[in-house]
Amino acid sequence: MLPLCHWLETNSLIVRLDTSIVWSSICEILHYSGFFLVVGSTVIVNLRLLGLAGKKENPSALAEQLVPWMWIGLGMTILSGFILFAGEATDFYLAITFRIKILWILVATIFGAIVFRKTRQWGEMPSVPVGAKLVAFISLVLWVGAILISVEVPAISGVG
Amino acid sequence: MYSFFMAFAKWLQGTWWAQDISSSVWAYPWVQMTHYSGLSLWVGTNLALDLRLLGIGKKRQTAAQLSDALFAWNWIGFCIAVCGGFMLFASAATKYIPNPMFEIKLGILVPLGIVLHIINQLKARTWGQTAETPAVAKLSGLIEFLIWFAVITAAISIPNFEA
Repeated sequence: MLPLCHWLETNSLIVRLDTSIVWSSICEILHYSGFFLVVGSTVIVNLRLLGLAGKKENPSALAEQLVPWMWIGLGMTILSGFILFAGEATDFYLAITFRIKILWILVATIFGAIVFRKTRQWGEMPSVPVGAKLVAFISLVLWVGAILISVEVPAISGVG
Repeated sequence: MYSFFMAFAKWLQGTWWAQDISSSVWAYPWVQMTHYSGLSLWVGTNLALDLRLLGIGKKRQTAAQLSDALFAWNWIGFCIAVCGGFMLFASAATKYIPNPMFEIKLGILVPLGIVLHIINQLKARTWGQTAETPAVAKLSGLIEFLIWFAVITAAISIPNFEA
């Protein structure tokens, strides 16, 4: 992996993007905006399943309304995140907190996707099943944890 | 006015809790997490409503229904973001006050975004009764959408303008 990281760091396109204040700012704007969309939409659906948000609204209708923004936000976050990663690929790769962050976000995304997919089914039931509430709670904790681990990467490892 | 804000910033930065935040390896990321969690709820739900007013995306819910469903957590997110943001500001207040991007963000863009957001939330009840929103709702949604992107841009640019 290290030679690949080194190749990424020295790639002329990545170097150009990484050293330009405008392009690196655009990447950061997309990264943060995308992350807000993913976390905001997922957390609202989780809270709805837990009975803590939009009680008058059908969970399935709410999930269907927000699911495109979750995926678009995730796409924006991954694309911009890759470019931000590529500029300092070796340092990020060697940072244990960054590896934990990627793994954590992968698990959170899987739980988020399950919540959105299954809410269409759970939302049509007379009441939200206990299992659904448990999955929603885990997803909620995972996404808040994803924010914490993301800010811990520069705090502990000094990269980013 | 500037000297008043600077004196306040010096006092705030000197408080024991502000110094604890800036000197601790663990406290600062937790405060950042608080700020970003609030922002995720606030900005995420704002953008979702703006896009619905714009008529972009799915139309299973009307703008009025979506606004109603998001309302409480939208403002809870705002309060969390303000609390976290105030603590982050306190930890380095004298550095933020003279920063032009911080001034633009907090002095112009955020108040403008909040006012327009309140208008959109109130008007969503009348604009959003049907699946299709009127042209004025689309325009208002677009402006608010752009303002929040401008807020994020200003926030990200703060380190580039540090003295």
